[in-house]
Amino acid sequence: MPSWPTETRYLSHPVPRVDAAAKVTGQARYSSDIQAEGWLYGMILRSKWPAAKILSINLEPALKIPGIRAAVKVREGEFTVRFYGEELAAVAGTTKQACLDALHAIEVQAEPRHEFVVHEDDAKKDDAPQVWDGVPNVSRPRTTERGNVDAAFGECAAVIEGFYTTPVQIHHPMETHGHTIFWTDDGLTAWSSTQGISSVRDSLAGALGLEHSRVRVITDFMGGGFGAKFNCGVEGILAAKLSRAAKAPVRLMLTRFEQALAVGNRPSSFQKIKMGATADGTLHAFEGENYGTAGIGAGAATAGGGGGADIPMPYLYRVPNVRVKQWEVAINAGSARAFRAPGNPPASFGMECAMDDLAVKLGMDPLEFRLKNDPVDIRRREFQIGAEKFGWKEKYRKPGTSPGPVKIGVGCAGAAWPAGGPSRNTHGEAQINPDGSVEFRLGVQDIGTGTKTVIAVVAAELLGLKPEQITVHVGDTNFPPGPGSGGSTTCASVSPTVYDLCQKALQQLQTQTGVADARGENWFAACKKLGVTPLVVHGNWIEGLSTRPAYGVQFAEVAVDTETGLVTVRKVVAVHDCGLIIDTLTLESQINGGIIMGMGYALYEERVMDDLSGVVLNPNFETYKLPGIADVPDIEIVLLNMPERGVIGIGEPATVPTAGAIANAVANALGVRVGSLPITPAKVLAALGKVPAPAASPT
Amino acid sequence: MNAFAYATAHSPGSARELVANRGLYLAGGNDLLGLLKDYLLPAPQILVNIKSLPGLNRIERGEKLWSIGALVTVAELERDAEVARVFPGLRDAASEIASPQIRNVATVGGNLAQHSRCWYFRQRDVPCLKKGGDLCYARHGDNRYHSLFTGNDCISPVVSSLGTMFAALDARAIVLRDGKEMPMSMAQFYEKAFTEPTAHNSLAPGDLILRVELPATRRRSVYVQVSDKHTFDWALVSCAAAAEVEDGKLKSPRVALGSLSPVPHQVEAANEFLDGKAPDEAVVAQAADMILKGAQPLEHNAYKIPLAHALIRRALRKLGGEA
Repeated sequence: MPSWPTETRYLSHPVPRVDAAAKVTGQARYSSDIQAEGWLYGMILRSKWPAAKILSINLEPALKIPGIRAAVKVREGEFTVRFYGEELAAVAGTTKQACLDALHAIEVQAEPRHEFVVHEDDAKKDDAPQVWDGVPNVSRPRTTERGNVDAAFGECAAVIEGFYTTPVQIHHPMETHGHTIFWTDDGLTAWSSTQGISSVRDSLAGALGLEHSRVRVITDFMGGGFGAKFNCGVEGILAAKLSRAAKAPVRLMLTRFEQALAVGNRPSSFQKIKMGATADGTLHAFEGENYGTAGIGAGAATAGGGGGADIPMPYLYRVPNVRVKQWEVAINAGSARAFRAPGNPPASFGMECAMDDLAVKLGMDPLEFRLKNDPVDIRRREFQIGAEKFGWKEKYRKPGTSPGPVKIGVGCAGAAWPAGGPSRNTHGEAQINPDGSVEFRLGVQDIGTGTKTVIAVVAAELLGLKPEQITVHVGDTNFPPGPGSGGSTTCASVSPTVYDLCQKALQQLQTQTGVADARGENWFAACKKLGVTPLVVHGNWIEGLSTRPAYGVQFAEVAVDTETGLVTVRKVVAVHDCGLIIDTLTLESQINGGIIMGMGYALYEERVMDDLSGVVLNPNFETYKLPGIADVPDIEIVLLNMPERGVIGIGEPATVPTAGAIANAVANALGVRVGSLPITPAKVLAALGKVPAPAASPT
Repeated sequence: MNAFAYATAHSPGSARELVANRGLYLAGGNDLLGLLKDYLLPAPQILVNIKSLPGLNRIERGEKLWSIGALVTVAELERDAEVARVFPGLRDAASEIASPQIRNVATVGGNLAQHSRCWYFRQRDVPCLKKGGDLCYARHGDNRYHSLFTGNDCISPVVSSLGTMFAALDARAIVLRDGKEMPMSMAQFYEKAFTEPTAHNSLAPGDLILRVELPATRRRSVYVQVSDKHTFDWALVSCAAAAEVEDGKLKSPRVALGSLSPVPHQVEAANEFLDGKAPDEAVVAQAADMILKGAQPLEHNAYKIPLAHALIRRALRKLGGEA
């Protein structure tokens, strides 16, 4: 059985990203920087109606605009659009302005449908307009049950009932969705901002009727993806068709505005939770009802989890008697897609709020309550370590008892990420050159998480070289295939693959050169003996070096101004495990990012839809609010290194518990629960009973 | 955006001539270019760059009266040590505006003249009242950021931090209209927006803001705002206050609030009530009640009442010298 080395020089140490200099100096060319010879801008015309029948689209006027080289429709004939921003047609031209002019020139004949619905509570009414003809907006409920819930509530010493809601969160990676695509008779090349070069290749090939072997996808540098960038998307198909028509490469990167409409989002959740415990603080009964919207669809099922609205209930804690009922509500809005730990952040928020509310009712310290009911040893240990670091004992006080108008509160929450294990279908090749230089080629992609660095660190450790001596090539479907970067699986997939490659390379070196141990100081001498032909080995993921799942806990301290409602997160302590740590520096970056994203979810982010017009009201960073550096607290990270478990991914668990911890800290500060994310000043003031009723509603 | 001609003017007169009745002035461009890119304005035939107009980028510090050129940037106001000493509220107002990058190019004139940030107005496909449509969508929709006071059907509030602070400082915008310099109080500068749904301020086509004159008599000034986020966010409510303070008592106090009305919200009776009083808890609470009397909250913005109440109290307490 293979095993990771115990004495290490690079593994589990802080190693700067191998491409850090390229990134901060602007040398790194991201997908959106690609300027293929003779490239054109591509742009999409979108529906300005939330529901309409499209009768005809006339592209002729667009083609007359100077600089326009191609225009294509999404489809021929009549068709129905079901949300504001749905794609209708696209143009390619030599300048952005030409494309904008062309979009304005396209003539669309449509029958707008005046009946549409964009809010969950409206959509679930019996007389609501149907998003899909003949299909109820409300899906058939899915119910699971174990134990005897009704009897169990009678046996509880304390029971709480809460209503916890989370908004639709929009996918807003720094780099928007898009591609540059060049499609000729010889085949198609796509430079894509994607989490899955293979899945983009397959989806493009499928949509365009091409052999997979005729499609090459390249992703050298990529500006972030959180579950919505696996397939080529409508924008990819349109870019390909435009390229074919224009006989030129077409770069079609979406704008921030478009990003808010049509590339996926995290479904909302409306969680009604009834939960009870016995007098000694043992959870005994749980009844949960949840619905949410995935927009027009149930969400495209993708690697890393589906985009559906179901959430895991009752999430982390052991409850013997459970009944859960969940359903989904369709609305006229863009579809959901997988979003960093699909289902988990809303589930964590609802359950962790209920845990604190019940602890308060029981008169128990919420941390003790968790330790009593958490079935996972690792996480219980993390709660204890975190409590120590955070100073929970000193900081925790009864809800609402902090003096003065600015109240301090503390809260905690736990995480689970059942995926995070490896993909067995990970392949790679290593090339050892006679001059001692080393190249690794893996058909995975580095989406900003440090995959290239992971490969370099593992290879350097095992070959006795330095990370900067390893040249890493990823992000090209010409390389041996690997998995998409979803579900926190990449690290656990590539690390054992690189291990396999290194073992094979060392073995082969020994066979060919007679050097018994080519590592470290023997390396160059051994390689020289290869003569003129590089050594190439192929490898793949092997058993025993990676596993799952990962856990984690977070503690938050907040200050809430009870006169203005403003929440300030002062401190977050995060304790996380992910088996063997590859690189503490990139790992801490991932956790920082997860916490900041979770903070946005807790306090700022929310897609706002308008009933009357059906539009997204906040399709920009002015009103779709994201944490800025001034909002970000002091973050302290504690890492549990468990080499014996092997490698596990961390991307998703890091963002799961943040919102629950912050919400609990706010409730602890105020003495009342704000059960709805995001926790804005308006909601804090309302929870405190300070907001008067509105004047008579408008007529 | 639509095509336009571009010219650089070298005197206010020539700028006015170039703009004629077919163009717009371009200074920092933060708002104007955004409006043009989103096709939210009737297409201007010409943009007249006014950044080279002589003298408009200066701060002149008189004993009694200061003059701040319309082209002075927000960043200069924020960084100027004398501004911080004489008008600390103005410095604070400047520092809350947008981001450092935007403050570096945003001008005083542009901050005053900026258009509505209402998310219905800014949504290109919503034909709202402010764009000349038939309906204020915000009134019926999500009005969390909208006005508690208005004199027309549009409930888009004024968001100029400087306008709000200038109101409390009794400043006048000096506007070139028909070849003459016309002083406008902040109340006058925005009053048209209070009564006319399509107006963002009282400027007529071709009007050019030259400078802002502010009396240096009120030596205490305060600006506070609360947003959803800690920086780079619009105020949910802002409150500016200015006064002389003698023996702990306010003299000639002025209070103005932003994001509550299409104009900086001022209640003369409250200013009179505060005059000569020490701003203790009871006094400032009573003043806040007076200032917010008659507020017309809608479905989503009633929280602005307690928020504004708190900010008024805080601003006045701070004005009185409380840390």
